[in-house]
Amino acid sequence: MSFLHINNIRKHFGETTVLKGIDIAIEQGDFLVLVGPSGCGKSTLLNMIAGLDSISDGELLLNGRRINEVHPAQRDIAMVFQSYALYPSMTVAGNIGFGLEMRKVPKHERREAIERVAKMLQIENLLDRKPGQLSGGQRQRVAMGRALVREPQLFLFDEPLSNLDAKLRVDMRTEIKQLHQRLGATIVYVTHDQIEAMTLATRIAVMRAGELQQLGTPQQVYDDPGNLFVAGFMGSPSMNLLNARIVMVDDEPVARIAAGEGTLELPIVRDREALRGWQDREVIIGLRPEAITDPASANRQDGVIHETSLTVSLVEPTGADVYAVTHLGGRDINARMRPGTQLSPGEQTRFAFDVSRMVAFDPQSEERIR
Amino acid sequence: MPNSPSPQGGGARARMQRWLPKLVLSPSFVLILFFVYGFILWTTYISFSNSGMLPDYSWAGLRQWSRLWNSWTWGIALHNIWIFGLLYIVSCIVLGLLLAILLDQRIRAEGALRTIYLYPMALSFIVTGTAWQWFLNPGLGLEKTMHELGWQSFSFNWLIDSGMAIYTIVIAAVWQATGFIMAMFLAGLRGIDGEMIKAAQIDGAPAWKIYLRIIIPQLRPVFLSAVVVLAHLAIKSFDLIVAMTGGGPGNSTAVPATFMYSYAFSRNEMGIAAASAVFMLAVIAALIIPYLYSELRESRS
Repeated sequence: MSFLHINNIRKHFGETTVLKGIDIAIEQGDFLVLVGPSGCGKSTLLNMIAGLDSISDGELLLNGRRINEVHPAQRDIAMVFQSYALYPSMTVAGNIGFGLEMRKVPKHERREAIERVAKMLQIENLLDRKPGQLSGGQRQRVAMGRALVREPQLFLFDEPLSNLDAKLRVDMRTEIKQLHQRLGATIVYVTHDQIEAMTLATRIAVMRAGELQQLGTPQQVYDDPGNLFVAGFMGSPSMNLLNARIVMVDDEPVARIAAGEGTLELPIVRDREALRGWQDREVIIGLRPEAITDPASANRQDGVIHETSLTVSLVEPTGADVYAVTHLGGRDINARMRPGTQLSPGEQTRFAFDVSRMVAFDPQSEERIR
Repeated sequence: MPNSPSPQGGGARARMQRWLPKLVLSPSFVLILFFVYGFILWTTYISFSNSGMLPDYSWAGLRQWSRLWNSWTWGIALHNIWIFGLLYIVSCIVLGLLLAILLDQRIRAEGALRTIYLYPMALSFIVTGTAWQWFLNPGLGLEKTMHELGWQSFSFNWLIDSGMAIYTIVIAAVWQATGFIMAMFLAGLRGIDGEMIKAAQIDGAPAWKIYLRIIIPQLRPVFLSAVVVLAHLAIKSFDLIVAMTGGGPGNSTAVPATFMYSYAFSRNEMGIAAASAVFMLAVIAALIIPYLYSELRESRS
């Protein structure tokens, strides 16, 4: 029996359906990130777990207990909101202790709990201030303190970092991850930022338009995308997706891709048996930028390398890497070259394709071929 | 360059543009200076003069002021304005807040209800006063209707009871202003972050505690504005009382404004009337100047 079980949950607002049957199960201590573009229903799902939105259909189980109709206060959950939602008329200590006060925890116990949490979050010196006197990062900490102090079974985070500036966001992300590791808490976290999802999650649920696209570990979602949407959404720069035709060479399937005047043939390594059935049909193949490199930085140990010469059309140095853009299969594709690579547009250079990481999709259904 | 203005012409035009706003505004500025502030000064001087039926500019020092404070009717007027003002402000705020909270529960027909509650504010005090005078008049309104419906023992004669008449004025005034105060509170309630209420729900606070501990403390600026608006309306109240009771029965519903009117125009005591007018102005100024000061300072920073 899983710890949190979201069983075929649906949500209707009048005629429109915003969640079309979501099934997710996670274990105690898991960090589930719900990720997807805005309007995919991830926040609605979180609000339904919190009890702030009603569940139209399906069942929600927390630690074996059905909580569909349980009031938010009785679900043993705590939530951190995007706007932090601190109570402006109370001090920081009052904010953190409010939930305990409502649960009639005696004053001295409350004081101890507030101090313990404040120490953990390094906000002891702010306890007597009002939220209006705090910076964004400090408010964020207070909001987390309010959730932590109650020691609930489940923590819910609704885009908690989206109001912070870029640097602070990275710092807080690390802190949330440390907090999760130290407390072993079970967390459901909503974000539209796929990097946040990759770095924090033990389980990622990629959602689109009210449907669960894929549920898996960050590595599974990244390396084994279930469909074109997940492939394109996760990863930055995003996965290269190009048109190809499956042809048989020496009775083995290869992906034939238009490359300038000629063609490029990449041998199929993954899902070979499934792709045999796609002989002489168009597919979309996906290759991460880091699977297309210069020959010297190719991963020859674990990968299967196929080299070819292509014309560079654009060079984007980022400092840590150099991304070379080239035209292949009707699209611009990104290749990640060794830092310091000297390239200029229009130049012919050798590219190494790690075909062991190549995935293929059905262009009609957009599903993975495997 | 035949089309471009000569340097001199440009200078004249620039001067014109600089002076035009001042020129346009100056007549109204002069009129306000004379008829508002000029007459304030004039009234203040009259309160220190020997004026009776007509202005008399001979200096009398504090004579009119001491006569004012020794006047029995002025005592009644001050007592009444205390009762009226306090009950009016408190009732309007309590009822207005209650209505706003009820209307904020995402009910249907909110727009229509809001308009219905706001309409009394669109009536002039004279209309409100006359309507309530008819309604509460034992021979015409509520009491007569009840008798005709068969409830012979029903009696509601506060309007003609000198001990209770002031409360009928409170009822009418509250009826008129509550909708407006409700709209103020409703706007305040709408400005509160919905996530905060969700957070409080998860924290386990029941609805009344969410209002008491989280929402109402955030409405502090609305309370302040409501008190200032209502307090100056209370002190200025004149037409409502004239229409409903004319200050009677006897002097039982006299307030400073009706006192001032009757002393100035029917009792030929312009000096006392001027003193009472200056006193009212001072009270209103004491309320509004600190309020404006704090508002303007906030908007500047």
